[in-house]
Amino acid sequence: MLTFEAAERSDIGTVLLTRIAGFTGFLHANGYGVSAADSVDIVDTASQAGLLNQPILRWNLKSLLCNRYEEWQRFDALFDAYFLPPNKNVFVQRDTTAGTQEVTAAGDDDGAHESPATAEHAVADETEAAGHGASREENLSSTDFSELSQADQERKVEALMRRLAQRLKHLKLRREARSQRGKRLDLQGTIRQSVASGGTPLRLAWKTRRRVRPRLVLLLDVSRSMNSYSFFYLRLARALCNELTDVHCFIFHTRLTSVGEALRDPDPWRAQERLNVLAAGWSGGTRIGECLQDFNRGQGARLVHSRTGVIIVSDGYDTGDPALLVEALRTLRRRARRMVWLNPLLNQPGFTPVARGMQAAMPYLDLLAPGADLAAIERVLPQLIKSLQ
Amino acid sequence: MGNFQGLAARAFQQEKGVSLAADRMDDIAGLQGQLVSAGYVADSALAATLLLTLDLGRPLLVEGDAGVGKTEIAKAFATVRSARLIRLQCYEGLDVHAAIYEWNYQRQLLAIKLLEQDDRPLSAKEKDIFSETYLLKRPLLEAISCDESPVLLIDEVDRADEAFEAYLLELLSDFQISIPELGTISAITRPLVIITSNGTRELSDALRRRCLYHFIEYPDFAKELAIVKIKAPQAADQLARQVVAFVQSVRRMELQKKPGIAETLDWTAALLRMGITVINDDGAERIIDTLSALIKTRDDRTGFTPDVVARIAATC
Repeated sequence: MLTFEAAERSDIGTVLLTRIAGFTGFLHANGYGVSAADSVDIVDTASQAGLLNQPILRWNLKSLLCNRYEEWQRFDALFDAYFLPPNKNVFVQRDTTAGTQEVTAAGDDDGAHESPATAEHAVADETEAAGHGASREENLSSTDFSELSQADQERKVEALMRRLAQRLKHLKLRREARSQRGKRLDLQGTIRQSVASGGTPLRLAWKTRRRVRPRLVLLLDVSRSMNSYSFFYLRLARALCNELTDVHCFIFHTRLTSVGEALRDPDPWRAQERLNVLAAGWSGGTRIGECLQDFNRGQGARLVHSRTGVIIVSDGYDTGDPALLVEALRTLRRRARRMVWLNPLLNQPGFTPVARGMQAAMPYLDLLAPGADLAAIERVLPQLIKSLQ
Repeated sequence: MGNFQGLAARAFQQEKGVSLAADRMDDIAGLQGQLVSAGYVADSALAATLLLTLDLGRPLLVEGDAGVGKTEIAKAFATVRSARLIRLQCYEGLDVHAAIYEWNYQRQLLAIKLLEQDDRPLSAKEKDIFSETYLLKRPLLEAISCDESPVLLIDEVDRADEAFEAYLLELLSDFQISIPELGTISAITRPLVIITSNGTRELSDALRRRCLYHFIEYPDFAKELAIVKIKAPQAADQLARQVVAFVQSVRRMELQKKPGIAETLDWTAALLRMGITVINDDGAERIIDTLSALIKTRDDRTGFTPDVVARIAATC
């Protein structure tokens, strides 16, 4: 155990600051997008204001190191896990106004001596602290995501998704923008250009329809009945995420989980890890209605707008209440521009959409298409793009 | 690591973290007080973040649901610092001409006609026409050419497209704008930048990384009560409490559009206008008449039957 009574005060400071700087590494391990530059920043900030004051340190680090809402939500738990020693409720001495050196040193002692010893311990605990909501058992029983990055089919999938993305890029909007050529005259632009020629409009300016990619929301059913297709679709989703920026991907079984972040992770190993954590309940039962309602409530208002194409991938076998599904679909349909349902079972000979979920969904769909494999998707691609237009 | 040592030494030279922290706490409390007098109730975390924004000179990205007071932060902060507030409302298709600058070409054309009689050399005339006199400054250019550092509010940045975001990023790192005909204009003073986003589109990581981040939740009872008391002082204490309690329970319901703070204030005004001074289950019918100020979609509205309203009112 280290004692600081005899040590120089600047040493205490160094230890503390190093500990604070190490916090970025801890956050990084928890999937935060922090960089080395951030460590310098936080050390700077911490030394300027409130190194020893827990709330200020917390507020400052929170606003510095969080980049999005999910990170914001998890931050406090991670902060506690890292800075608070086990079985302790306060970071340093309770009363900062006391302010004597002894108190400070003793307080620092707690915070600092803990650093080398429990750093690994803290990292090991991170999954729980991160509040992913996945218990260890579920973790172990979860699916083998290494299949996700197998090379054989990968390239074909990527090529196909690139083609889809290319086509989507050509979708146009009614809104107009100035351009060199076009059908409609842009009077304002023409006058502006005529300044160069003393007011004589020599060159005409035109308006043309702006290109806008629609937003895509993918809702993938990963319940047991979809087992043989789940990986295939996840692979499609990942290729699509890499190709387009405005794609949002969710998986659902008995509940809904966002996997967009995990799929976008450039490190394939970490992507697998993250999916492992997220996939609790993979290939369990299905409650489509509840999951969609969950989506509507949580993400719908934010994600789905008048340019959004919602693509649901499911076989429609639903154990939940069909009325719930109908309600959820109706709400979703009203927000979205288009709703497409890909059903892997659809191209089996003699298939009629008898599954309860499927029947309930029929009135709200713009397109119901088969999609058991790459060839099927390929065939349905023109229709898909057309329906998203 | 040498850097850390230097910083550590610096931190501990200035008679130590404790007094520093105490000062900082005073600063935070002070700013909170000033914000209240500017009509904005901020929690300590937000005040601390605003101070940090000042210290680091980095933009602040504020997210949160609609109606939690994201835009108001900038307004109140500008008032507190007695700085100018320059607002850029983003929308789809926002372009250079609306965000940064535009030549006042009507005036330029007039000038050209007038200059025809002038016998100065051509280059002088040209310089005249493309001078700042004929430049219409849009918010971003305006913000970097103020004499005193203004507060620049970039509202709902997620509505603008990605190209604009990339441009914004460049501006926020260099604080200079180049105009082809005029040259590069560097910032005289750095504006204090507050960016708000509703999360309709995922912002780029680059932008997020450059900014400090703050997420505003719906206010809790105490905070919302404080807001109502500041913004609607004519409401009696009992009514204010009841209004806030009512709105808080409405927010816990499953609604398509949860009421924000603006709705709370509107509704308070509506109640006062209707002469309702107390919310109780007997007055459910009259309360329903005012609910249009609080509930904004048809589906949500159908959920508010007299029974439901009476039940909520009884708990207030």
